[in-house]
Amino acid sequence: MKDCRVVYCLLALSIFSKGGAQPTQTVAEEFLKVESNQSISSGVPVRTSIDQTLEIASQKLLSGEESERVAAAKLLGKYSLRNSSLLLIGALGDPSPLVRRAALVSLVEHYNNGQIIYEAALVEKIYARLGDSDVEVRREVSALIPRLVPGLLQSGMEKLEINGRVVYRSRPGKLRPDLDKLTQDALLDSDSIVRQNLLKNHFSLRLQIHPATMVALLEDKDSRVLLVALDQVRIYGRIPGIFEQVKKLAIHPELGVRAKVLQVSRNLSRSYPLYRDVLRVLLNDGNRGLAAQSAVELARLGDSLSAKTVRMISAYLLSVQGLDEFSEKVFNGLSALGPNSTEVYRELTEHPSGRLRAVAWQNYLTQTKGWKDAKIWLPATKDRDSEVRQLALGAIRGRVEQLGEDDLNSLIESRYKDVRAFAAECLLVVELKIVENMFLELLIDEDGLVRTTTLRVLAKRRVSGWMKVHIRSLLDPNYAIQRAAMDGLLSESKVGVPALLDFVRAHPTESISSLARQELQRLGYRP
Amino acid sequence: MKKYICILLGLISGVSAVVGSDEWSGSSDLASIRVMQFRRDGGNRIRYPDALPSLLELMNEQARVGFDPDPLFIDTLTDGRLFDNPILYLNCDELPNFDFSPEENEALRRYLKLGGFLYLDAGIKASFLGADMGHSYAAWEERPEVREWFAQLFPESLFSPLPRNHEIFRTFYKGLPDNEYLRLEENQKRLPDTVLTFVEQEKWPQATYSFVGMKVNGRLACVASPICAMGWGRDEFGSWVPPISFRIRESAEDFDETLKLASFQGKTYEVTREDGLKDIIYTIPGKRPLWVREPTERWRIFKYYSGEEISDYAHSFYARLGMNVFLYALLN
Repeated sequence: MKDCRVVYCLLALSIFSKGGAQPTQTVAEEFLKVESNQSISSGVPVRTSIDQTLEIASQKLLSGEESERVAAAKLLGKYSLRNSSLLLIGALGDPSPLVRRAALVSLVEHYNNGQIIYEAALVEKIYARLGDSDVEVRREVSALIPRLVPGLLQSGMEKLEINGRVVYRSRPGKLRPDLDKLTQDALLDSDSIVRQNLLKNHFSLRLQIHPATMVALLEDKDSRVLLVALDQVRIYGRIPGIFEQVKKLAIHPELGVRAKVLQVSRNLSRSYPLYRDVLRVLLNDGNRGLAAQSAVELARLGDSLSAKTVRMISAYLLSVQGLDEFSEKVFNGLSALGPNSTEVYRELTEHPSGRLRAVAWQNYLTQTKGWKDAKIWLPATKDRDSEVRQLALGAIRGRVEQLGEDDLNSLIESRYKDVRAFAAECLLVVELKIVENMFLELLIDEDGLVRTTTLRVLAKRRVSGWMKVHIRSLLDPNYAIQRAAMDGLLSESKVGVPALLDFVRAHPTESISSLARQELQRLGYRP
Repeated sequence: MKKYICILLGLISGVSAVVGSDEWSGSSDLASIRVMQFRRDGGNRIRYPDALPSLLELMNEQARVGFDPDPLFIDTLTDGRLFDNPILYLNCDELPNFDFSPEENEALRRYLKLGGFLYLDAGIKASFLGADMGHSYAAWEERPEVREWFAQLFPESLFSPLPRNHEIFRTFYKGLPDNEYLRLEENQKRLPDTVLTFVEQEKWPQATYSFVGMKVNGRLACVASPICAMGWGRDEFGSWVPPISFRIRESAEDFDETLKLASFQGKTYEVTREDGLKDIIYTIPGKRPLWVREPTERWRIFKYYSGEEISDYAHSFYARLGMNVFLYALLN
């Protein structure tokens, strides 16, 4: 305790003498004088300056009362200044764990506010609390490691004299040997949060974990430590004992750990084929999602899957409520199954989840070139979910080469306007006789897009009587329809263009007339 | 109790439409319940994309509810699908503004009257937090924008604080997560001592939180809370994302005197407490709040705790709270 007081005094004196402030006692006396005068005169207490606040706190850090020292340490956290950081570092040697905790939490506050400490000696003093007897202090220090690293691992140059010759050489930034030992020990700390933090940050500390320690961490009882250890295992994959331990974890009771084992094994399998064995263990996992994911990963790595396994994948995807992380990965991996995936996609087009149906339709149509056979894609146009219809129609749009009258009729009778608009597009590929029989239905559709599309197709196909329809449509209140009618008439110079000229002259104030005049002038006519 | 709720939810999962629309008819064989999430601007401002899907999955796992884990995104309240689904989730921090057309307001009013439920996450936000959306603060009144918006929808109604004993806080889970739930050894510290005491006694007593709600036709149809979605996200391995830290109020023997006099050169803000009185928050622009003067003339300092155990605890709490809200919405 006495030592601590000496440190505080020295720090306080150095702070206030370096800062050009008055000696400690004088400041305090003046503060008290000012405060009492103000309080007496106005009745409202006057706030102290920062120097005064820090000085009072530094004195309280020397108090024999633990509660006063704790309060001072807490208050100092609010002043992210070098001086208060120094006082807090001094307080880390306090015999009371409550004071040390408060000091560390306040130091973290300083770091959060951008008050970074770079002096190696000071940072090492903070880092050394990793060996503190109080678990909360150890947790705070281990979580603070990323902030401590810049000060802790400073490389530089050093000047040496070897056989009388002056030699300059680089000094690598690495932990002091005693701190290195402290860190290796802390990796097996009794508290799981400390172990977890150390594992997460050991790369930034440029620390190589001892193989036996790594194996021990892969046997940790705390699943969160295990998850972090598995995250780090990629660079230890070749070390003896690691593969066996990862394989053991493939039957861990927790799903999250087994999922992590799957991820790690998938990555390691590319460099070390041995790890495919872990995926094969997971193929029999009780969780169907995990088993299905292992199966598609194995397929990606070149393993051929049995019909039973393919059925298992399909059954799993049909059983999920929708696309979550697991099912999405399995779904995205289906293409690795090759021709086997077609049937799975087809089954999924009847899945209750709209999102899943949508992507299933997209893949199914692409894989089977479904646009060649209306029987394949027509069910998608009847789906209640607009996303499903949009994706499915997007996959076949522009690719349909022929369509029968019945199939076209079912599109025209659809209750969905996007499907009816697609029906209008399909008029381009059906026989002219069918167009003539059915275009009227689409031309009187309630939806403007359907009517517009139909008009454009009629002009393209030169259906008998199309010109009359276009001339009448120039008076439609919907500008998009007027525009389609104008475009159609412009494409036919013998009758269409003169009809448009007449229209512009007769209806100069119609909304389409202005554009029509411009278009006609561009073609060399004088409207 | 939980068992009965699971059975009930299992029965409910087959029924999800608020009002049968033309598009929905003939599709009642589909069992998944779709929760809608409102997004403007094509989702450019999404802050916690994993949150709602993770929570829906968690509910499927733990309460055996048939939620589709893929939320149904709508970007306008006039979307016809609004009336197909009973729950609408809206994170107020994700809205570019609170400008809704009269048609949208009318649709929402009708939706809430017909039995729909609206959860306004981040519908409570203390003024001193400003534009920094990484903070949350348990004020006990809705944010002014929400108040103005709802004054157009239901001019005759007001948001009122939900009492700590409200059913919404114990629909499925009761109380704060214990070591068993957190998968910790019996004697392992859940949280630092000071933090745990504050959480249990003041921050989230009996797992309650600062919620305000509005009743429509006598039914709680809309609730607003400080941001909770930050606590719902899980990665595929079951780990919580993103990290969360705690702000707590710490006292010390002489703070009532010290903090009155300690150097301070920032601004002060008033925030409404549960009892309707005002706290005065002392802040410095660009930094986290310093301390608070409570109505009893008690002064306490704000401290920030972060770390795995803090984050895990907060996530567990927010996820349990979120589950309680959604399951309440489904059952009432």
